Amino acid sequence: MSSFSRSRMAAPFLSVVLLTLLLIAWQLAVRDSAPTAGLDPEYAKLMGVAATTGKSAIPTPIDVGRKLMAAVADPFYDKGPNDKGVGTQLAFSLARVLLGFGLAAIVAIPMGFLIGMSPLAGATLNPFIQVLKPVSPLAWMPLALYTIKDSAQSAIFVIFICSVWPMLVNTAFGVAGVRREWLNVARTLEVGAWRRAVHVILPAAAPTIFTGMRISIGIAWLVIVAAEMLVGGTGIGYFVWNQWNNLSLADILMGILLIGLVGMALDRLLALAASGVTWRE
Amino acid sequence: MTLRCSPFDPIASHAAGCTCGTQGVSASTATGEQRMGEIVRTAVLRAAFPQARSRRALLKTLGAATTAAALADVFPLGMAEALAQDAPKGIEHPNLKIGFIPITCAAPIIMAQPMGFYAKYGLNAEVIKTAGWAIIRDKSLNKEYDASHMLSPMPIAISMGLGAVRQDWQIPAIENINGQAIVLALKHKDRRDPKTWKGLRFGIPFDFSMHNYLLRYYLAEAGIDPDTDVQLRVIPPPEMVANLRADNIDGFLGPDPVNQRAVFDGIGFIHILSRDLWDGHPCCSFSISKEFVTANPNTFLALSRAIIDATGFANKTENRKEIANAIAPANYLNQPPVVVEQAMTGIFADGLGNIVRQPLRAGYDPFPWESFGVWIMTQMKRWGQVKGDLDYAGVASSVLRATDARKEMTALGLTAPATNTKTFVVMGKTFDPSKPEEYLASFPIKRS
Amino acid sequence: MTRPYLSIEGISRLYGTRPVFRDLWFGVERGEFCCLIGHSGCGKTTILNILAGLEAPDGGALVMDGHEIAGPSLDRAVIFQSHALYPWLTALENVAFALRSRHPAWSRAQILARAHQALELVGLKDAAHQKPSELSGGMKQRVGIARALSLEPAMLLMDEPFSALDALTRGALQDEVVGLVGGGRQTAFMITHDVDEAILLADRILLMTNGPDARLAEIVVNTLPRPRDRASLHRQPGYYPLRNHIVDFLVTRSRVLAETRPADWTGRNVPEISPATPHADNKSLESLAP
Repeated sequence: MSSFSRSRMAAPFLSVVLLTLLLIAWQLAVRDSAPTAGLDPEYAKLMGVAATTGKSAIPTPIDVGRKLMAAVADPFYDKGPNDKGVGTQLAFSLARVLLGFGLAAIVAIPMGFLIGMSPLAGATLNPFIQVLKPVSPLAWMPLALYTIKDSAQSAIFVIFICSVWPMLVNTAFGVAGVRREWLNVARTLEVGAWRRAVHVILPAAAPTIFTGMRISIGIAWLVIVAAEMLVGGTGIGYFVWNQWNNLSLADILMGILLIGLVGMALDRLLALAASGVTWRE
Repeated sequence: MTLRCSPFDPIASHAAGCTCGTQGVSASTATGEQRMGEIVRTAVLRAAFPQARSRRALLKTLGAATTAAALADVFPLGMAEALAQDAPKGIEHPNLKIGFIPITCAAPIIMAQPMGFYAKYGLNAEVIKTAGWAIIRDKSLNKEYDASHMLSPMPIAISMGLGAVRQDWQIPAIENINGQAIVLALKHKDRRDPKTWKGLRFGIPFDFSMHNYLLRYYLAEAGIDPDTDVQLRVIPPPEMVANLRADNIDGFLGPDPVNQRAVFDGIGFIHILSRDLWDGHPCCSFSISKEFVTANPNTFLALSRAIIDATGFANKTENRKEIANAIAPANYLNQPPVVVEQAMTGIFADGLGNIVRQPLRAGYDPFPWESFGVWIMTQMKRWGQVKGDLDYAGVASSVLRATDARKEMTALGLTAPATNTKTFVVMGKTFDPSKPEEYLASFPIKRS
Repeated sequence: MTRPYLSIEGISRLYGTRPVFRDLWFGVERGEFCCLIGHSGCGKTTILNILAGLEAPDGGALVMDGHEIAGPSLDRAVIFQSHALYPWLTALENVAFALRSRHPAWSRAQILARAHQALELVGLKDAAHQKPSELSGGMKQRVGIARALSLEPAMLLMDEPFSALDALTRGALQDEVVGLVGGGRQTAFMITHDVDEAILLADRILLMTNGPDARLAEIVVNTLPRPRDRASLHRQPGYYPLRNHIVDFLVTRSRVLAETRPADWTGRNVPEISPATPHADNKSLESLAP
């Protein structure tokens, strides 16, 4: 067995070992301490376990696991507009992210094309891009709510505005960086502008564009959680906020875990799509 | 079926794109009365079986007619329908969205949904939990909500164009009186004299809140200047306990169940109840835009009756436990019932090892005294939120709809006060609503 | 005066205000294979790009078959130094892409059949469906050659096409080019700095002085008989005088001539000599010596 394939098998194994050790350490660190003695039982009934038993406010991994099992067992329950299952919440968040991200792609990729093809347009727009790019979603939200006057559209706008920049910048970068000789080949073949854009520049820049899309979807997923915590209503961000409201760290940790897993899945999906257009020289 | 999506339809999938509550009644040949009956049955069924799945399962096995009949045995469906048909005719806008912050101040607005008060008046209302006061203000101004739970100073501020684009807003009913408290972190349990509070950091829910004005008042009475001697930070109520635990603040004047939750988790103790500062002070209000009232007079009438009815119901101490259990679940407050119960019944742990019995800890008196508005405006001016001459009585009477509330309360068999104004005592000092400027002049610590 | 098939008439290229080369005149006849040799910096690649229409000269004009060259054209196919294949396309698709430009009306099947044929011609029948990254350097350049030849261009332009290849591969490819292009069937112009390559392929060899301000110093006529092949070429009488002449030029005269420009110099009268012919008039050669 080569050392390469050995390390390929060792890495997942070590990951599992590390996870187990972390879970054990976590469980030991937050296990219950002895109950506080001498508390009036009548009074104790009015208090939470944290106050009466000295139980750590941090849940154990088993608590989180139980929450996760319960959530997975019934992911789409509906107990009214403010209490829906995590599956439903994730679906709401995903729908918003895909809408905002999709709109951003529709705008960013053609715009990036123009900027990449025209150094003048690039130089003109660059200061605006650089100023707008680092603005936090939480800063956009009040402006969006004030001008758009609709919280659902505002959330999508905020995803749009935060995820548009990496795609725009990467598309422009990819298009501007297309090899001169590839363009020269197209010129000597008298290739028209449309065919050149679609059959030469687009495939040449595609790997860079997809890198931008991966950064963007990651940002969009980060932003949706923040946006939903702010405007509430539905979504996994609202779920986390609602459990914060109840100081239920076990639910919050479960939410964090789900957010991480979905974020990873989105990234993997785009990586898979990117591998379809990536070329090697 | 006159509704686009009725819970009596066993096939309709509620998870996938049910538009209940977001769409108006579809155009149909049904008469208004048929439609009303449908809304009432829908709402009653919803209230009895809040879980869509069990509701559907029930409908599937029994059929819609049988379910309605069975339900009529336990719930006087016919009576509710009859009542609803007594309610204002020609409701323009039966499907409503009403925003709330998950605190017990909003108990009447919230419980009116699961306990059927909206349905009783022919309304199909959805109550939407909202993350903070700025968001509830923006969503209300943007008409995403048809009406909202607001801090009572908010509609006054909005009507005066303070901190928002000016719009005319009204308070058809006060939600609650008392029910707030100053909570301190446990480490301050030997620091009970406010004179010693220089340098502390306190959380308040919003700039335009009774909490802000009461805490400032309390501090100023102890000789502490709230602007220079302490820090006041705006923190949404749901986040107050987390901030107290993280030692970001030393205490807060907050709403319940936040105060009781700090005790429940062993983080803080109740220093003083707000009723000990001013017994009978207003806190939150049921608020609605003048535009909505003008455009939908019948809907507004039904809505304000539902709210006043629910508020009157909530004011009866014997109902508190039932209400606490109705609003504690995740769909509403998302708090342990034992916490909500303590806040609402007034039998509570104070965080220092004592059980306190104070049945007047929280009250629900809907009457929107105009004097409340005048007092709020004196404090707005006192702390520099507004400058110059104010039309105290004019603004107060246009926002706080005391005359209309009296009519509705009388119609519902509640006792309503005979006048729109009254004097009251705040921390030992009498407030006369006819002399706001003299009252303002009497404070040594003020910004104006 | 009759114009040659391709006529370069006094072109120049400036770098700022300094000329890289100026007043360059020469012609390529129909079916002729011309090589240009010079050191780096004399503007060789620029000259090829100007012939291809990818760059415009700063002065002068180019006329091909009676028409002025004003941009790239399918009639002048280019084989690039770095092969310049599209890495996201297979070998076959790269050729097909060019064919589609040449024959917009052809069916997909016609294009593919012709592309297969072109690849077969350069011995890449089995590599048709491989991406450039899966091909060796020599194979990539063969695809480049197949792509250019499939266009059936009036003129083939080559920019040091074999310089990036190892010696063995280069030799094999040179032989193939002789087979495909040599023998007067294809008009071609090639940039190179490989003397043996030039002697093998060219009918005439253009010698440039060193830059900046490079000029065309002389035109060497290659009178060695065709068909030529690498194995026997160096045994041909006249091979060594020809080779020595060019090597001498590259080692010393290209530098010396660059430093001195006769007062009566004009780009239009470039001396043409034939060192491989025993009775060549070598007086003109002596007159050029410093």
